[in-house]
Amino acid sequence: MILDLHLHSDRSDDSRAPVEAYLKILQRKRAERPLDGIVLTEHRQFDPARDFRTLEDRYGLLILNAAEVETDYGHVLVYGVNDAILARFDFANVRLPAQELIREVARLGGIALPCHPGRPTVGLCAHYATKPPLEGVVAVEALNGGSRKGEDARTQELIARHGYRAFGGSDSHLVSFVGVCATEFDAEIRSMDDLVRALRGGRYRPMDFRERGGVATAGTIT
Amino acid sequence: MPLDLDPATLGEEFDRAVYGPVTADELVAFARALGAPSCYTEPGPDLVAHPTFCVSYRGHKFFPDNLPPSLRSRMSFDAGKDVELGAPIRPGDTVTVVSTLHDVYEKTGRSGTMVFVVVRFTLTNQRGERVATVDNRLMYRGER
Repeated sequence: MILDLHLHSDRSDDSRAPVEAYLKILQRKRAERPLDGIVLTEHRQFDPARDFRTLEDRYGLLILNAAEVETDYGHVLVYGVNDAILARFDFANVRLPAQELIREVARLGGIALPCHPGRPTVGLCAHYATKPPLEGVVAVEALNGGSRKGEDARTQELIARHGYRAFGGSDSHLVSFVGVCATEFDAEIRSMDDLVRALRGGRYRPMDFRERGGVATAGTIT
Repeated sequence: MPLDLDPATLGEEFDRAVYGPVTADELVAFARALGAPSCYTEPGPDLVAHPTFCVSYRGHKFFPDNLPPSLRSRMSFDAGKDVELGAPIRPGDTVTVVSTLHDVYEKTGRSGTMVFVVVRFTLTNQRGERVATVDNRLMYRGER
């Protein structure tokens, strides 16, 4: 099962992509990007009332809701957001304490995973250069569709050094970028609970669909 | 709320400006400058303003007096506009621009911390119809 674990819709301040437009692209490009679903990760917010069932039925794709927050170690994706997590952390705060976030989100039933670690200023690598490594990091986003030259390579060094698991996401803010990077899971995922369980379990790998101009061959990294 | 901004400031009217009446000549000149189709450039009873004409309006002052001093004294740049259109502007209309501070938020990116200030212009005509809502987004570099 392949999911894009990181993308933004027009709910984020820097995206103008309607959710349905992402689904139309995935439907049209199924041969090049054979995804089974997407996980929306809006910046600094989480709306528990979002309901995608109608769109899921119409397009036959899984749509899950998560968040991308900003911390003192860079940006972090939070999956399995619930009332307890929202009560514990103000997602609009751009200086959230990463160590506390990772520990507390895990304790409260979710999982917090650093994204685009190789990115300057907002990636884990930049912060590890001056601060101690975080404890409890399960995985990092090894492939990010918005990475510039060298950023994903820096992430590979980080993974090799710390033994983190790896996943992928498009970080799409534009409709056409959806699914260019994604994550393949061995397990069947039908809900956010399934996703959190799978991410903790570790039987997944990042997928790169950008190669060869987006033609059907998928690249993987280990 | 970043920068110790009083949340009550958000949504509070800080400026009101009235313009008009709009003339057919200025609507036609604006549309011709854009290379717009003839429905926006031919004078007559059906003439309406090109949809983007609404972004030519602004208030007398751009920021509220109680914007944090740390922002008032610094340079910003235009980070884009969101425009929601309402009733079309027609020749003879009077347009009122009400300015409010709509949002202030921080974010972090490759280049560091940024502060975004969103100033909303709500445009209405002399019949009280909403002509447009224009959200002007200004970006400031964060404190280093």
